[in-house]
Amino acid sequence: EEEDDEAYYNKDLPEYACKYCGIHDPSCVVMCNVCKKWFCNGRGNTSGSHIINHLVRAKHKEVTLHKDGPLGETVLECYSCGVRNVFVLGFIPAKADSVVVLLCRQPCAAQSSLKDMNWDQEQWKPLIADRCFLTWLVKIPSEQEQLRARQISAMQINKLEELWKDNADATFQDLEKPGVDEEPQQVLLRYEDGYQYQNIFGPLVKLEADYDKKLKESQTQENIEVRWDVGLNKKTIAYFTLAKTDGDMKLMHGDELRLRYLGELHKPWSGVGHVIKIPDNFGEEVGIELKNNSGAPTDCISHFVVDFIWKSTSFDRMQLALRKFAVDDSSVSGYIYHRLLGHDVEEVLFRCHLPKHFSAPNLPDLNRSQVYAVKHAVQRPLSLIQGPPGTGKTVTSATIVYHLVKQSGGSVLVCAPSNIAVDQLTEKIHRTGLKVVRLCAKSREAIESPVSFLALHNQIRNMDCNTELQKLQQLKDETGELSSVDEKRYRMLKKAAEKELLEAADVICCTCVGAGDPRLQRLKFHSILIDESMQSTEPECMVPVVLGAKQLILVGDHCQLGPVVMCKKAARAGLSQSLFERLVVLGIRPFRLEVQYRMHPELSRFPSNFFYEGSLQNGVCAEERKLTKIEFPWPQQDKPMFFYVTQGQEEIAGSGTSYLNRTEASNVEKLATRFLRCGVKPEQIGVITPYEGQRAYLVQYMQYQGSLHAKLYQEIEVASVDAFQGREKDLIIMSCVRSNEHQGIGFLNDPRRLNVALTRSKYGIIIVGNPKVLSKQPLWNHLLNFYKEQKVLVEGPLNNLKESLIQFSKPKKLVN
Amino acid sequence: ASMVAALPQGPTHVDCPEDEDFLSAFDRMVSDNIQDRMRETVKPQQVDISVPLHIKGNAKKTYEQLQETRVEEKSTMNFVLMVRKGHKQQYKSLAVPINSELALNLKNREEAERAE
Ligand SMILES: [Zn+2]
Ligand SMILES: [Zn+2]
Ligand SMILES: [Zn+2]
Repeated sequence: EEEDDEAYYNKDLPEYACKYCGIHDPSCVVMCNVCKKWFCNGRGNTSGSHIINHLVRAKHKEVTLHKDGPLGETVLECYSCGVRNVFVLGFIPAKADSVVVLLCRQPCAAQSSLKDMNWDQEQWKPLIADRCFLTWLVKIPSEQEQLRARQISAMQINKLEELWKDNADATFQDLEKPGVDEEPQQVLLRYEDGYQYQNIFGPLVKLEADYDKKLKESQTQENIEVRWDVGLNKKTIAYFTLAKTDGDMKLMHGDELRLRYLGELHKPWSGVGHVIKIPDNFGEEVGIELKNNSGAPTDCISHFVVDFIWKSTSFDRMQLALRKFAVDDSSVSGYIYHRLLGHDVEEVLFRCHLPKHFSAPNLPDLNRSQVYAVKHAVQRPLSLIQGPPGTGKTVTSATIVYHLVKQSGGSVLVCAPSNIAVDQLTEKIHRTGLKVVRLCAKSREAIESPVSFLALHNQIRNMDCNTELQKLQQLKDETGELSSVDEKRYRMLKKAAEKELLEAADVICCTCVGAGDPRLQRLKFHSILIDESMQSTEPECMVPVVLGAKQLILVGDHCQLGPVVMCKKAARAGLSQSLFERLVVLGIRPFRLEVQYRMHPELSRFPSNFFYEGSLQNGVCAEERKLTKIEFPWPQQDKPMFFYVTQGQEEIAGSGTSYLNRTEASNVEKLATRFLRCGVKPEQIGVITPYEGQRAYLVQYMQYQGSLHAKLYQEIEVASVDAFQGREKDLIIMSCVRSNEHQGIGFLNDPRRLNVALTRSKYGIIIVGNPKVLSKQPLWNHLLNFYKEQKVLVEGPLNNLKESLIQFSKPKKLVN
Repeated sequence: ASMVAALPQGPTHVDCPEDEDFLSAFDRMVSDNIQDRMRETVKPQQVDISVPLHIKGNAKKTYEQLQETRVEEKSTMNFVLMVRKGHKQQYKSLAVPINSELALNLKNREEAERAE
């Protein structure tokens, strides 16, 4: 059902679109009778209109006007002799009347028999003037239309005409297609037009999709043991443990897995389910909820196989968005279109009434830079808001959304790349009293979140005016299935209810990819805000943007993590650069929030100096970030931070593709235990580690070897840097793992990742690692020198920490 | 707010060898085709292309109609294009820009007639 919908909205150029530039206004296009291709009567950047360019280059001479054009379907021909060669055709007017007739120049217009008639022979004029068809035959597309179309050059026209000689169906895309083994085209800073944009990003999205598909399909795991369970919704759940890999594969809620039974105790069976649990502190099990309960061999335990199911939905939506951006001129306003492509457009302001008070109901009062940010965003058709860690990005975004709704009265679309970020923002916007709908992917409807009650599927359940739908829903919940008649009725009612709720909403929140949901395709959003926008690829960002953006606000921080692109080829070609970053490079100054409220001032010093040119101010003082009644042996009492020198050996974890470091794990356990003993609650602590092997090992190690009750360690979150982005903890312990002299330090050498890691904690941070190895990397060299200067680079037992005497080379000046 | 003013005016012409080639190819195409027609010596059929009476009548405006158009300052003028489908005549209405030669000629002629 969902797939059908997607195909329905698949917007493509009509057949009669100009084969050169894509313009498809029926009154502006002409068909070449010889090759049946359509061309427009605009000249773009060349000396003749596209149709004339084609006729001349292809040596074709006959044309037909479009049926929906001003003259209707008309073959241009001589009234008298019927010749259709447009290069000899012209017209003459009647002497005294407003009548014209098409005649060829030779011989019909020169015929003597016309002389006695009412025709004014002297007035014969060709149909082609100034290398365009006369505008009363075929309109010339407006300048704006021509600017919005593909900017094809005379050279490209030539090449295309050459291609057509071999392959009549060749398209503009074929001009730029790389060969099979060729590197894809690099992304650009500026693009000629939406077509070029699509031609560059389309192949990159394809590369990433192919890579993802291959990866998923190669992940089949055999000899799986299953534990069966039944959920509250009466659906069958299968739990099992997968072997760990540190590859790119990351299992997420909502992913689809197929479970197959190969044993002999039951007939062959296979079933598909959505992931509802992933490995975490509470266990390494993966849980899937089966789509269909019937026939599952729930009394069998072993001989199962797990396949990963690849879904093309997100990639399809990006491709659709790219195409829509190129083809559909109502997808974004002209201003946004040219701005995003990097064209020179004067900056403009909306004339609007600015509110007296900028703080929104039930949200914290804004500080000065936040007020400016709101003002900045509300007045501009395109703005970038940079929110360094802890600067109140979410509150600022929610306040902007509040004012956008109050000003326009229309609905605002709010997106972010991850579900967590969307949920956080949804919660804040809901507090202001606006009517918010959170749209979830159907595969994620079973997953609980703090804003579940705002989810569309739940709001529908609570619409008490719709009793028939309620009844059918109840029946479906109780019996699991409906008769086909009831199911049809149920779907229809549900669709109508969804439409009603979506149309009534002030704000719709979803992930970027979620904005490609068929249920949103009929709505238009003039104002769109994308949070954490630096974490999505450009095509991902475009999915919401093409829903009608006239006012676009990108919130993010290009000094934090960028999007995850798994295919190296695509990443190298620039898919891993976010739209936010490109716009910054294009010279759009991001408006920066400057006051951070998260970190102890000592913790913000290095990140501020290193990543934000020292511009971060502290909105909290040391006193407010002091853990009271907690006796912890900080080497410097006024600086809640240190680097714990640990010379452990790195090993390869059980699965063979992941790293672990036992000495570091043991030190992390000691630190965590020390915190817990002096009264810190486990949920206040976060442990960051880059490798999946170390994460699993740490969780196990703390729970089995820790000197306190295992339950306590369970509540300590252990995860990768990426999982912590956008979030905070009171205390952070970071385990760097790599201490191998030859292999560098894995993904900790990305400055943006280090920035995120260093800025998650409010009260204190401890880094556990091997400084000798880390200092080889220029960025870490800076950090280690900073820690040494602060006298917080230490070694030895926890109750007797001593300054380390290790020497580093002087840091080189780094250009950021 | 109006933002049209902020946008670039329209595509600008780009000079390049391929465009130069097009310019000369176009000129050659027109003259070659006309030359070919002269050599072909096509015998035109004797078809009736007299201006149909009903259109003639329509074209003669009443005084009021003339006044109207003058007040409105329309940007186009209505013409009729005569085409032939088999042996039948067809009339298609045309909106010709008021500043085109075609429209100006007719206007001048009308004014001249009225002056007579
Ligand atoms: Zn052709
Ligand atoms: Zn065109
Ligand atoms: Zn003729």
